Amino acid sequence: MPNWISGMNLEPIIKTITQNQINKYADASGDFNPLHINQPFARKSQFGRTIAHGMLIAASLSEMMGVNFGIDWHISGRMKLRFKAPVFPGDTATTFGEVKEVIDLNSKSEIVCVIGVKRQTGENAITGEARVMVNTIQ
Amino acid sequence: MTVDYATLTAGQEVSNTTFVLDANTITRYIESVSGDSTLRYPLGPDVVPPMAIAALGLRAIINDLGIPEGTLHSSQDLAFLGPTFVGDKLTCRASVKLNSVRRESRFVSISLCINDAGDREVMTGTTTLIMPATGTLQDA
Repeated sequence: MPNWISGMNLEPIIKTITQNQINKYADASGDFNPLHINQPFARKSQFGRTIAHGMLIAASLSEMMGVNFGIDWHISGRMKLRFKAPVFPGDTATTFGEVKEVIDLNSKSEIVCVIGVKRQTGENAITGEARVMVNTIQ
Repeated sequence: MTVDYATLTAGQEVSNTTFVLDANTITRYIESVSGDSTLRYPLGPDVVPPMAIAALGLRAIINDLGIPEGTLHSSQDLAFLGPTFVGDKLTCRASVKLNSVRRESRFVSISLCINDAGDREVMTGTTTLIMPATGTLQDA
């Protein structure tokens, strides 16, 4: 496990989102909002086409935190997310994360990260902050 | 069936649901979020991805409350408090945190708390949804 310091970048997760994947997520999550799965309905919306579930895209952020922090993410992970822009079928969603602060707390440290997901256009789809407690390396 | 959101008040419980993290449900979830790549998840096949817990908690809310067509997910706060495993039985309790109308949109924040069979909290969170104050986005 690395010795986390401010400014370190987290290993990203990159996924191309498909309508088939969105349909599968609707089935798995029970969220059948027509904005995600019904083309005629979505065409009449402000987006003009279907969009991915926010939580489908956010899953990549949790995956990124799990890859970088392992079990610590499961037992102490916190994140605050804002869904800023839609992700469309065909988009490539890339997570980003940077350590903003390391707070020493006796035998543990709280790692504070700026996190988010960008579309291939560079637009932020999700922005937020994540915190996780890790054991301090002696 | 969607409830009349105008009648929801802060503190009102909107869901109290127990569900089991069965292997089929978790497999379907992992397949859906993996997309064109393998989910990079080094903790072993029996450990449930934390976001699956969040998604299943939201499913309980959707089932119990109903979500109007065209509703958007505005923000999500989550705290993961312990690992969960395939086969675990969880209870999701959800209550209204905020219900307000700004311009033509209704903002509804729902707090959720998910406990395991030993009544240990494994996840807490707040979901904020935006929906038309009346009707659906088609009508807006």
